[in-house]
Amino acid sequence: MTATRREFIKTVGAAIASSQISPTHGPDGAPTGSVPQPGSAPPPAGARRKVIYDQDNSGPFGTDMLGTLMMLQADNIDLLGITLVTGDAWLKQEMAFTLRLLEMMGRAEIPVYAGAEFPMLNTKEEWQLRLQLYGGHRADPWMGAFNRDNGGPDLITPLPPPYDRFASLTAQPEHAARFIIKTVRENPGQVTIYAGGPLTNLALAIALAPDIVPMVPEVVFMGTGFHVFTNAFNIFFDPEAGRKVLRAPWPKFTIVSVDIAEQVHEGDEIAPGTRMIQQIAAHAESPIADLFQRYALEPLRQDPNLRFFRMADEMIAAQIIDPSIFTKSAPMYVDICSTPGPRYGDSMFWPANWQNAPEASGGALSAADRRVFVDPRQFYMGPPPAAGLVNVLLEVDHDRFKRLFFDLMTKPIRKT
Amino acid sequence: MQTSSTLLAPSAMVSPPTEAPSPRGGKRKLIYDQDHRGPLSTDTVATLMLLQADNIDLLGICTVTGDMWAKQETAYALRLLEIMGRSEVPVYMGAQEPLLNTKAEAQMRYHMFGSRTLGNEGYLGCFANDGGNRDQVEALPPPYGRFAQIHAQPEPAADFIIRTIRANPYEVTVYCGGPMTNLALAVMLAPDIVPITKEVVFMGGSMHRSTSSVNVYFDAEGAKIAVRAGWPKFTLITADLAEEVHLQDDGKVDYVVAHAHSPITELFRNFEQKPQRANPGRHSFRMPDEMMAAHVIDPSIFAGFDEMYVDIVTHNDGHYGDTSFWDGNWSQLGEGTARSGQNGPSLKAGRVQLLKGLDKKRFRELFLDLMTRPVPRIGIQEKVASTTTRKETR
Repeated sequence: MTATRREFIKTVGAAIASSQISPTHGPDGAPTGSVPQPGSAPPPAGARRKVIYDQDNSGPFGTDMLGTLMMLQADNIDLLGITLVTGDAWLKQEMAFTLRLLEMMGRAEIPVYAGAEFPMLNTKEEWQLRLQLYGGHRADPWMGAFNRDNGGPDLITPLPPPYDRFASLTAQPEHAARFIIKTVRENPGQVTIYAGGPLTNLALAIALAPDIVPMVPEVVFMGTGFHVFTNAFNIFFDPEAGRKVLRAPWPKFTIVSVDIAEQVHEGDEIAPGTRMIQQIAAHAESPIADLFQRYALEPLRQDPNLRFFRMADEMIAAQIIDPSIFTKSAPMYVDICSTPGPRYGDSMFWPANWQNAPEASGGALSAADRRVFVDPRQFYMGPPPAAGLVNVLLEVDHDRFKRLFFDLMTKPIRKT
Repeated sequence: MQTSSTLLAPSAMVSPPTEAPSPRGGKRKLIYDQDHRGPLSTDTVATLMLLQADNIDLLGICTVTGDMWAKQETAYALRLLEIMGRSEVPVYMGAQEPLLNTKAEAQMRYHMFGSRTLGNEGYLGCFANDGGNRDQVEALPPPYGRFAQIHAQPEPAADFIIRTIRANPYEVTVYCGGPMTNLALAVMLAPDIVPITKEVVFMGGSMHRSTSSVNVYFDAEGAKIAVRAGWPKFTLITADLAEEVHLQDDGKVDYVVAHAHSPITELFRNFEQKPQRANPGRHSFRMPDEMMAAHVIDPSIFAGFDEMYVDIVTHNDGHYGDTSFWDGNWSQLGEGTARSGQNGPSLKAGRVQLLKGLDKKRFRELFLDLMTRPVPRIGIQEKVASTTTRKETR
């Protein structure tokens, strides 16, 4: 028991000691003078940030597609490739939408790679059984590709307007995980990974090639949560992959939680009395204007009380394009429950400075208090031994975020 | 659904045509995936059997962290090939860690829930306290003597498995003697290999002795992905069956030491005969990997099999890595039989064939024959080795 506990403390202590996230890290330079992180600041003028875009790109419209459009439009982004993974939709259908979107946007030069068609272990049938056995547990019962009415992995339905037809582009033959490995190794320290879907592709990549982990300056992921709910789709679609990827010792792993994403919605106003989507539809060039017209304004016309989705993937894009939009972040330990029970896919967080928790809570830290953290017979308040240390975004400048989104959607379509 | 009970007498189950060594003299194509513990163990002995068997085409050896860390295993595998004069067999290093399990968690589960297994099953492989770490490679004792001059291939084991099965559809047997991390990765990257794999042979799981075995509980998620994949044929040797024969039984070790014509003599003398003489009460290990090798070399050594469903528990608690079995014909078990009235398997359980009816006499004969056969190219290899500088490399 003692040996184990000692090992436990040692492991956690080592994780803290080797952490490259400074405790007071802020995206645009925390007041305490934290060390600048690779990739955490916008690249120097003229330099483009290299990005692998890993996404469950569900069409025709929605947070996945809008994240894609932002990354396609941003001038400071060098999109090395798009890797797809089953999540919000099945892989093949996502591929059809993605290839055609690139064609419509005139960006056929961006290679697209198919990744994992299934989660590591989760299955549609078991998920449905779990919901019945343990009860539904969130107000947002999205099951993505596992939705009851979803046709299955091989069904590809025709693409609606403005897509209209399948692309003449084709996917690359290489598996997404191998593309990730190859690209990161060829550009050590330079490739940021946008992780907008379940983490299956990244889990495969680091299982095959653990050496790439320290070479990635930043992974930006949307998933997990604190208050809105703790089991976000991108994790509970593939909890084993989430657990594996979040635990890896990335130099920097930034999380857009459900809580922060829920602060801004696509239907919000950009100026008093004016909705962002109306302004975009009015000012954007096609095909972006067409997409907003058909899939945002038209549904709103039919249902004026329509509740628009939170801006989840758009925040990943914002963190990569201009991280100074986020005004507060904190290093935290995170772990994912992969026990296939009622908490399958839940996220759990611990403050990185858990050892100073009594101080952090305002009370004096007495000698007796300190013993709590090293004496195995006392309470233990830290993370489990293999928890990952991540950078959690906590505050976003709403106006600047909406302005960035609006500008990217309405600027002239970026050519190549 | 074809099940063991609907087949006739056990004799009718002996070596279905597709299982027999090819009558035309063709060799059985084999990928050998192993947590290759050195200097001598059930893993290593099985490697020796497969190297010595005439009817096996050993396409490659894959290593995986389990009994030892993959780097150390790879060092042993490469040098074993060298001293056996078989440097042409390529070695691919595979997963250095399980998909999710970690040493700290494995040890804490033991402390919290207790070891759930019996005797020497209370075993964590390289996750034991003295198991070293991922990048630590210890020197190899004689007869290995030094690190090999041959190197592992640059390709990861999972990629080699995918490429090889695709290039030889319906022909490749995969021997999984360790945790199934490499196979799980291969299936996740390329689900198309599953229906074109001839057979997977795995040792792990059990029903009576204990329900946990290290090859499963070392990487429970990997095992779950692999057993659920839907292989045309997935053959399992349980710990129950493996426990029927031990390496020291019936003077096998002394016979091998006296009659082998190769480094096998020294391996068995140093690492089995001497320890046993120093400690006559020593419990020599069961022969799980040797039985897998025997099944691959000559399946008729087993009288038959039970068709069953299997699934793996991945709850991160005292049952992590447990195997659950259900009869393949559970719905047809009549009134009054011992297991009638049972419910069916879990939704996604895999279908497996549990070998049974080991012919101990023939197993012993096969084993002794393979261990004592001359190693044809040993002379050439030693000559080459002696003319090169003794440079220790990793």
